[in-house]
Amino acid sequence: MASDNVLIVGGGPAGLEAARLLSDIGVKVTLVEKRPFLGGTPIAERYAALTHGFHDAETMMNGMIEAVTNNSLVDVRLNSSVTASEGEAGSFKVTLAQAGSGSSEVVEAGAVIIATGFQHFDPGRETQVYSYYEYPDVITIADAEGMLKDGHFRKPSNGEIPERVCFIQCVGSRDRQIGNEYCSKVCCGISSKQAIEVRKVSPETKVFIFYIDMRMYGYWENELYWPAQEKHRVQYVKGIVTEIVKKGDRLMIRGEDTTMGRPMEVPMDIVVLAVGMEASHGTRQMAQTFGVKQNKYHFIDVPHDALNPVATSVPGIFVAGAAAGPKDLDDSIGMAGTAAIKAAGLVRKMAMA
Amino acid sequence: MGLFVDKYPDVAYEEKLRLWEEVKADERFPSYLYGCYECGICVAACPSARFYDFSPRKIAQAAAREDIELIYEQMNDDVWNCSQCFSCNRCPRQNSPGGLITILREVAVNNGLKSAQQALEGYSRIVYKIMGTGTQVSPDMLQPDAFPDWGPDVKRVSDELDLWRRALPPETLHTTKTGWHVSEQTLIELYLIWYNTGVMDMIANVDEGLNLILSDVMEEMLEEAGYDMDEYY
Repeated sequence: MASDNVLIVGGGPAGLEAARLLSDIGVKVTLVEKRPFLGGTPIAERYAALTHGFHDAETMMNGMIEAVTNNSLVDVRLNSSVTASEGEAGSFKVTLAQAGSGSSEVVEAGAVIIATGFQHFDPGRETQVYSYYEYPDVITIADAEGMLKDGHFRKPSNGEIPERVCFIQCVGSRDRQIGNEYCSKVCCGISSKQAIEVRKVSPETKVFIFYIDMRMYGYWENELYWPAQEKHRVQYVKGIVTEIVKKGDRLMIRGEDTTMGRPMEVPMDIVVLAVGMEASHGTRQMAQTFGVKQNKYHFIDVPHDALNPVATSVPGIFVAGAAAGPKDLDDSIGMAGTAAIKAAGLVRKMAMA
Repeated sequence: MGLFVDKYPDVAYEEKLRLWEEVKADERFPSYLYGCYECGICVAACPSARFYDFSPRKIAQAAAREDIELIYEQMNDDVWNCSQCFSCNRCPRQNSPGGLITILREVAVNNGLKSAQQALEGYSRIVYKIMGTGTQVSPDMLQPDAFPDWGPDVKRVSDELDLWRRALPPETLHTTKTGWHVSEQTLIELYLIWYNTGVMDMIANVDEGLNLILSDVMEEMLEEAGYDMDEYY
């Protein structure tokens, strides 16, 4: 017996958007979220402003959350995980377990959308010598979001306003030694956005971005990169830092200034590591639970990605957002729409058969 | 810094900063520097970069970073390797490294930097000719010892100049005998512009002798035309 319900795993931007759109066209949704709250990484990691657009992350995510809560077509299951799945396109039987309660339940679904997202690269695995876990003033872009959300940007070690701040790009991305050969796509834009925010909250702070290439496709160029450089006087230096050494109260960074063709060793007060994206724990687990193929980076494999970016190796199971690999928000939301309409088309076709 | 100390004097950081502030205060500065991609188009287009250890990209980059030490080095050295052709203006960000160099050179000259005096030494006679006559240097002025900056081949070329010119004909075969002189009125206006815009002061900063002989020529004509030259001193 075909089910007219769509099961969405993950209550972040992609999952919320897919749920909202399905309910808009009258399709029933079960939205499963492992955390006790909706909103995904932007809420869990306390993002300040969204990249791009500079809108307040919490406000924007709350708008998406409101659209699915108190919505008669969307059954939101918080603190819940998928523990098993059987069946096929049109009639999946998915077992949900609720944390703490010990109870589990089988939900029927005609189609499934996996929207379990990414997690930030753990800088402890970095092969360059950045000492993230040793020096409190070495932080990640995720840590920086939290500080900027609180409206300040100070040295974690002593609360002082930093004289010099630098971003190091491509941490955990584009690196054969780490095994992540891919580009994480968003870190150039996020670092540039944060650099602008740092300059705004503390205009006396000098901000540098050390990069391999700046990947600022489309309008990120004119919305983020050029204003950061031209209006906010952020210094972009081509060359990557290999080592951070503590020197008194400050951090000494070592790298090459490739533009000037010479080694550099300069002091910084805060170093921000632009950590990339890796498949989240949930994405890896859901790939196994639903039996969908993963690529070598453990993201969900998309067999025909150019013209069908939401297909997985299993018919009836779709993927949206960064569960399929590094994605910006625009891409995640776009994928959510595509996955929603494909899932809706499938359950309706099955119902009519 | 080490490479350059024998070529020009090192000065205190504050002095380097003061020179840089003078560059930044120039009203042309903001439209000559936006941001740099490091794309290298300016270097690729630059004729000087083919022959000298010179990079317009480094000029733009040093200015963008406000690298005071490096800018001081460049102001004393690199800027004189530029031919001011402005091929670098094809920059996709609309920077003008050549324009930055114009300002850097002017600041070097206005502050009487020794390196500027040395760089411009070879040009005294050309400047004297151009400013005195109000028109261009003409090929028939070419003499073996006239213009040292024209290089060692000038003697060989000047011996058979007429033959060379007919063998490789330029668009016209202008000489000082064909439409070369400018009118007295034009000359007076040029002299006044140079006095009023500070060009004479700039020349005094780099070459006092040149300033003296040019002033003699100019003042004579201006005074004859009824201008009171005391206004300019």
